[in-house]
Amino acid sequence: MTDATVNADATAFAGTGEAIIKVENMDKFFGDFQALKNINMNVGHKEVVVVIGPSGSGKSTLIRCINRLEQHDAGRIVVDGIELSDDIRNIQEIRKETGMVFQSFNLFPHLSIIDNITLAPRQVRRMPKAEAEELAMELLTRVKIPEQAQKFPGQLSGGQQQRVAIARALAMRPKVILFDEPTSALDPEMIKEVLDTMKDLANEGMTMICVTHEMGFAREVADRVVFMADGEVVEVGTPDHFFDNPQEARTRLFLSQIL
Amino acid sequence: MTDPLITATGDGVPLVVEPNTPPSKKLPPGEWVKANLFSNWYNSLVTLVMAVILIYLARFLIGWAIGVEWQITRTNLRNFMVGGFPADELWRPWAASLLIIAGASLGFGAMSRAEHETDVRNGIPSTKPTQLDLFRRFWPIVLLSIFFVSFARTTPPFIGVAVGIVGLFALREVGWRLPAVIRDRGVFVFAAFLLAGFGCLAGTGGLLAIVAGIIVAVLVSTELGRAGITTRAVVIAGPIAAGLVTYFVLSAIGLEGFGWDDWGGFHITIFATAVGIATGLPFGILLAIGRRSNLPVIKTACVIFIEFVRGVPLITLLLFSSFMLPLFFPAGSDTRSGLTRAMILITAFSAAYFAEIVRGGLQSVPKGQTEAAQASGMSPGAIQRLIVMPQALRNVIPAMVGQAIALFKDTSLLAIIGIADFFQYGEISNTQQDFLGKGLQPVTYTFIALGYWAVAYWMSRESRRLEMKLRVGVR
Ligand SMILES: Nc1ncnc2c1ncn2[C@@H]1O[C@H](COP(=O)(O)OP(=O)(O)OP(=O)(O)O)[C@@H](O)[C@H]1O
Ligand SMILES: [Mg+2]
Repeated sequence: MTDATVNADATAFAGTGEAIIKVENMDKFFGDFQALKNINMNVGHKEVVVVIGPSGSGKSTLIRCINRLEQHDAGRIVVDGIELSDDIRNIQEIRKETGMVFQSFNLFPHLSIIDNITLAPRQVRRMPKAEAEELAMELLTRVKIPEQAQKFPGQLSGGQQQRVAIARALAMRPKVILFDEPTSALDPEMIKEVLDTMKDLANEGMTMICVTHEMGFAREVADRVVFMADGEVVEVGTPDHFFDNPQEARTRLFLSQIL
Repeated sequence: MTDPLITATGDGVPLVVEPNTPPSKKLPPGEWVKANLFSNWYNSLVTLVMAVILIYLARFLIGWAIGVEWQITRTNLRNFMVGGFPADELWRPWAASLLIIAGASLGFGAMSRAEHETDVRNGIPSTKPTQLDLFRRFWPIVLLSIFFVSFARTTPPFIGVAVGIVGLFALREVGWRLPAVIRDRGVFVFAAFLLAGFGCLAGTGGLLAIVAGIIVAVLVSTELGRAGITTRAVVIAGPIAAGLVTYFVLSAIGLEGFGWDDWGGFHITIFATAVGIATGLPFGILLAIGRRSNLPVIKTACVIFIEFVRGVPLITLLLFSSFMLPLFFPAGSDTRSGLTRAMILITAFSAAYFAEIVRGGLQSVPKGQTEAAQASGMSPGAIQRLIVMPQALRNVIPAMVGQAIALFKDTSLLAIIGIADFFQYGEISNTQQDFLGKGLQPVTYTFIALGYWAVAYWMSRESRRLEMKLRVGVR
């Protein structure tokens, strides 16, 4: 046994330079139910943070607050120097800098793959069509499905759709990407292709917050793992600390169930 | 463990696998009959009973149709088609119909070519639709025109219908071959012909000038977009200026139209339906969006309007329009004409129904779609326009076409406020001196029923075609 005290401080960030995301004393309520309790967390530039925890612990809510898909009720959230407020322009600025990948892909079924990817750059960044399409093809090559560009989402497998979703998020050239259980809706044989894409991204220095149950992925690429339960950050540490030497009883119980 | 089925499905294999030779599902006629009509004893029995009933009905109907006196429809053909339109002005509806057919053929030929080219460029298999495909689409309308004209007693109508049918097929071919510059603007080709046709009827002033101005503004705006011009001032001022110029030029030309109070017959039935759809749908979309608004004032206003219109029978609304609407307009103004009032009412009526259909469509779009668009930083307006609305509308195409067909048939109620539409002539013709008391209603109403049926059936086929087309590649 090394240190017996549990480290529940998620503010000390790894990565390089400044913290790109700062969450301070953040609370979130759904009606009377408090889904997040006094969350403090920083994410550094080029850092990969994996968030784990039992169902209903508030993982999705946490990352959805960061890009204002949910509105937090108290505390501060600062993304790339911009504080999240009710001002729609601030929200738009933050959303431009944060990509998001959902569990259920959420590709636009009425648009072709290439249009799915070029839509936001053209609409939001006012990128000319030709340039946007060139970028899209480059990204599709990066996620290894350039030949699917003209198809529609419904014609692709789940793994392919999720890789398109990642390319779509990348097309806005975001500073951070938020992943909400990106492999949970996939068949086992497709999980690997998506995780490989995410690993490539991490290795290329993308800042990422990933909610995931893929412990192998966490172990391999995470700089820090944050364990949440009942709307609180319970334990924080490196993957090695986490998987070899967890301190808190709830962490151990969770890991024993999942591993 | 070398199960070929398992080894065949691997990583990264697309879901849509196109086999080299799709297995044929067509049976030879003999076997089809055996498989579908006489597969067992009770199936055979049902087939035989149905055959006896059908043959009996057919004999009865054919016998009746041959034996009965069709003179009433011959005498009244013009009434059925255009009501009391004066003979020396008849060139107007003819020119209008032919121009609209020409525009549709050219425009849609061009548009299907443009689609074809895009598909080919993107490596999606696509073939040119044949003339037979076109006939399969339009046969109810083609046959109806032939049926109608077969009652004509002079030659010009035959020539007109022949020109129309030949034009439909020939100009589609021309549209397909138009140079790319024009081809890519097929919808505006159609709009131009539609306006020209409408101009023949209604003149160049008033409503036509307004609609033309709007269309030119849209054209200029899309052209600016194509040219990649994004300067705010130009993008906003350009289309507005062009639209206004068009409006004033057309108003200044001042070609006289033919006041629409004398319109009638099938002509007014089709026109009222077209107005009901073309104006009711945009208003319906706005109402549906308004009903989901966060602003209580807008929301309540939309709910009250929709629920009021939907809660009252159309007949009541029509009577209301003839007694109440005039009170809202200054005495002697043009808007007091019966048909204008009816058009306002039909717009309101179909807008309310379309609004509820569109609202259903909006609810059917999963929340994740909006969230994905929000997460990428798109503005609320762009999300509605580019993500939510297109999916919502395509989800409710059958319901919307159903509403359009219902509206088409409901226009027969215009008779209540004294507009002599297609349906109304079924009765009017029977009150004429020559036919009074002869009990020829079965003849006139058969004629009318066929007219309604052919158009409604065509609309329902088009709706299924549209659904199939849009479903390609989705889900
Ligand atoms: N829109 C909502 N309205 C009310 N309660 C909600 C809403 N969204 C989430 N909650 C509640 O907030 C809590 C946290 O939910 P959240 O989705 O963040 O959990 P999670 O950790 O992502 O769980 P899972 O692993 O199942 O995705 C849960 O108890 C959930 O029931
Ligand atoms: Mg979740």
